[in-house]
Parts: sequence; C-alpha cells; structure tokens
Amino acid sequence: MAGKKTGRDTDSIIKTRILSLFMNFILLLFSLSCIFPLVWMFYSSLKEKRVFNADIMGLPKNPSFRNYIDILTNSDYHIFESVLNSFRTTVISVFLIVLFGFIIGYILARIKFPGNRLLYVIFLMGMLIPIHSLLVPIYVVFTRTGLGNQWFTLIMPYMAFGFPIAIFLVEGYVKGIPVALEEAAAIDGSSFSRTLFSIILPMCRPILTTVAIIQTFSCWNEFSFALVLIKDPRLQTVPLAMTQFTGQFSSDYTKIMAAMLITMAPIVIFYFVFSKQIIQGMVAGAVKG
Amino acid sequence: MLSSIRPKNRVIFAYLILPIVLYVFAVFIPLVTAGFYSLFEWKGGPNKTFIGFENYVTLMKDSVFWKSFSHNIYLVIACIIGQIGLAFIFVLMINSRLVKLKGIHRTFGFFPSTVSAVAIGFIWTMVFDYKRGILNWFLDLIGKHDAIKVWLNESGLVMLLISLPLIWQFIGYYMVIILSAISSVDKEIFEVAEIDGANGFQRAIYIVLPLIKNTLLVCVTLCVAGNMKAFDHIFVMTAGGPGNASMVMALYGYKISFAQQNMGYGSAISIGIFITSLLVIGGSQLLVKLLSKDKGGDN
Repeated sequence: MAGKKTGRDTDSIIKTRILSLFMNFILLLFSLSCIFPLVWMFYSSLKEKRVFNADIMGLPKNPSFRNYIDILTNSDYHIFESVLNSFRTTVISVFLIVLFGFIIGYILARIKFPGNRLLYVIFLMGMLIPIHSLLVPIYVVFTRTGLGNQWFTLIMPYMAFGFPIAIFLVEGYVKGIPVALEEAAAIDGSSFSRTLFSIILPMCRPILTTVAIIQTFSCWNEFSFALVLIKDPRLQTVPLAMTQFTGQFSSDYTKIMAAMLITMAPIVIFYFVFSKQIIQGMVAGAVKG
Repeated sequence: MLSSIRPKNRVIFAYLILPIVLYVFAVFIPLVTAGFYSLFEWKGGPNKTFIGFENYVTLMKDSVFWKSFSHNIYLVIACIIGQIGLAFIFVLMINSRLVKLKGIHRTFGFFPSTVSAVAIGFIWTMVFDYKRGILNWFLDLIGKHDAIKVWLNESGLVMLLISLPLIWQFIGYYMVIILSAISSVDKEIFEVAEIDGANGFQRAIYIVLPLIKNTLLVCVTLCVAGNMKAFDHIFVMTAGGPGNASMVMALYGYKISFAQQNMGYGSAISIGIFITSLLVIGGSQLLVKLLSKDKGGDN
C-alpha cells in the first residue's frame, strides 16, 4: 500500500493516520484517568489546606510532608495500626485459604469417599450464594458467640468466602496431573501426607499463586464485613479506617489524601512491582471461575 | 488410583473437618439464623416477639426494598453495557497495529480494579464535590458556571453518577480478560480477513465477537454477581441518599439493621436479598449456559 502513490492511497493513508491518532488519544485518556487520581492525590497531599482550597488542580508551590508527619505522629488516628491489621488479616487468611484450598481441592479430586461430590457441590455453592446477604446475620452470629470484634474475627469469614474459588481451581488443576506420579511415590513407600506436601504441592504452585493473588486483593480491600464485625478503632482494617478519615480530619482534604496514600501504599507498591504476574493471575482465576 | 495408596478415612476426616466446620459456621449458620430471626419482631435487645411471616409481608410491600432492588438491576445493566462494551472497544483498539504503549494501557487500565472500593468512592466524591470537586473546577474553567451544582444531591442524576465509578473501576479488568481471550485466537484469522478486505468494524462484529463469545458471557456473569452486591462505593459516596435515591439492597439491609436497630426486619431483608440475588444470578447463569450451548450446537 505504501509503495503506490495514487490519490486513493494517500486518501486512505490520511484516514489511517486520523484513526491512529483518535485511537491512541482515547486509550491514553483512559489510561491517564486510571493513574491520575493517584498522582493528583499525591501532589495535593503535599499542599497546605488553604492552598488546596484555593486551587484544587495546581501543583504545590512549597511542597512539604507536613500532612504526613502530622498523621504519623498522632496515635489517635490509628493509621499505622490499620495497615498492620490489614496486613496481618490478609497474610493469615491468604495462607490458610491456600493451604486448605490445596488440601481440600486435592482430596476432592483424587480420593473416593461417600459424600465426595456432595461436599464439592456444597463448596461450589459458595460461589453462587450472594454472600452480601450474610452481612446482618453474620454480625448476629459472631456477636452472640463472642467472636466479633477480635483481632482474628475477620480471618474466619475471609477464609470461608475464599474457599470455594480456591477449591474449584485446585480441584481442576489436580485432575490434570497424572495419577501415576502418586502411585510411584506410594510404591516407593511415601505416605499420603508426604506425597501431598512434597510432591503434589510443588506441582500446584502456579494455581496456588493464582489463588493467593486473587485472595490477597479481596482480603485487603474487603470492606462491608469489616464494617459490621469490627467496632474497636484499634482493630480497624485499612478500608474501614479510610471511611473515618473524613470525620477525623474534619474535611481537611489534603490530610485525608495523605492518609489515604499511606494506607494504600503497600498494595499499590505490590501491584506495580508484580503487575504482570498479578494481571495474569487475576485473569486466569476469573476466566476459570 | 490404587486402593493401597488411599489414605485411611481417619486421615481424610482430620484434614477436612476444620475447614468444613469453619465454612458451615461462616456461611450456612448465618443463613439459618437469619431465617430464624426474620420471624421475630426484634430491636436488637433481649426481648423478641414471634410474629410469624409478618416481616415478609412488610417486605413484599416495602417500596424502598423494591426500589433498591431496581437500583441493583440498574447497576447490573449499566455495568454490562459500560464495562464490557467499552472494554471490548478498547480491546479492538489495543489490538490494532496503530496503537502504541500497549503494555502501559494494560498496567494502568487494570490498576483501579485492584484498589479498594472505599478509596475509589472517595476519589469520585472528590470529582463530584461542590466546592473542591474536579467536575465543578472543570465547568468553571470552561465558563459554564450555571452547570455547577452539588452533584450527588441531585436525586434524578445520582444513580448515573454513582454508576460511573463502578463502570470506570473495572473497564481495565474486563479489558485484560477479553485481551487474553483474543490472544488465544489464531492471528491468521485476522490477517485473512484483512486480505479479504473486511474493515475494522466488520472484523469486530463478524469475526472477533463470535470467537470470544464465551469469554464475554463469563464477563457478564461476573458483572451480574459483582453488582448485585454493590455496597462499598455507595456507602462512601452517598450512603443511599439523597433520600433513598441511590439505595441498594445490601445498604438498605445494613441501614435497617444497624442504624434503626431493627434486627428482625433486617434479617427478613437479608433473606430477601438472598432470594432475589440468587434468582438474578442463577437466572443469568442459566441464560449464559443456554447461550454458550447454542454456540456448541451451531458447530
């Protein structure tokens, strides 16, 4: 096409150029919109309240980390605690989801016992059950049993809600592993548990990574169950703490943004360092689920 | 599997019992509990009175509940069109040879879907804020002072406004899912079409769309399930207001139970959410199964 120089071709070249410009523009606009809020929050958080209120979009003239210092030195805000709480809850929940998801998924895929399929269906139902309808009743159950408002409270529902997808993914994955492997291990005298953890577990690493990635984000970002189950401000997770900022900082927006960024930092860094693996994992999980 | 390497039932039981107990405790016990308390008049205190199905009669006539339900459906439809539709168009653009920075679009576009809905809600509250909002700043910039308003207080507009962050947040997510589906399609098909002279639009409708139909249906299922449970953004942005103009089911159940301490009726609403969501999600899955089977028949 580029070689010939007839009028029709120049015409189509111009058309292609316009189209290319248009498409690049639209996509850039979208990509920037995804990242701009973060950038805007960052440079705004370096401004003083007065400066921000006068001009919300302008860059800071005298950037300072004063908002950050104010927030981090005042223990009434429980900012650092909330990051720690989220971190603990997420790490423990994800570890246990991966561990039990692996064990249950493997057993359901490989071992025949009465009720195997029933159990599979019950766990799978968890993916269909609208769990948000449990918001109120889970509060009632946890409060009645005294399990609400503890440091470990959120780990329980997060695990339970994480099981279905984990079990589903592992079960499907294990079915693709040849049984001969376990048979050979058994003939060599390896016990069930040893085969499970030293032979099957390493083989399942890709799917377990997928499970871990999906669950890390869903545990870290979970809000509604934390809202009803946690009352003590010292036990708040990050999303819960975020809803308090507006009140705590009495609409001092630059401070709110600084607090937001502090609490968002771990997951944002995690995302941009591992974005390729994260995107892959999330997509693999979504499509198979 | 060889029967000799099958572990004893004892071992299986030991491995399974803990997670099963936890799962039942966190998922099924609350459901049963909600069913039980929904039969009582109970304000959260020590006293409750058995009233049979009266809460459900109230629920059937509760216009706020059904309005909330219709808002959930509104969000589902808005997100199917907005998220999957835009994601599909963006994918077509990204796949074109003319577009640069494909990796950046993937990484940046996907980013919002990994951020907590609370943060997203806050960011969009700042967009719509009256004095310090980006939208009003922009309107001021282009000189449209009359258009400036307290956006989230407009009951006619509020549903549209709160669906924007929901749509925006997950476009990149669906974009990446569809991209990965297309990348598994043989590139030759596109080249052949190009030689045959199909233009971009024709290629999109007649070649790309049928090939990734099943992936699109998966996206629809995700979209339905995701928006039936809408709560976080709306809690942050409007808390269901003004009035009940942006109320959704989960938020209504929360308000009745915690703000009004009406746990009996709150439990009935929970059961109502459970049944309606199950019907919508189950119904949409059935439809999806039918549609994807349809395709199998054609081949």
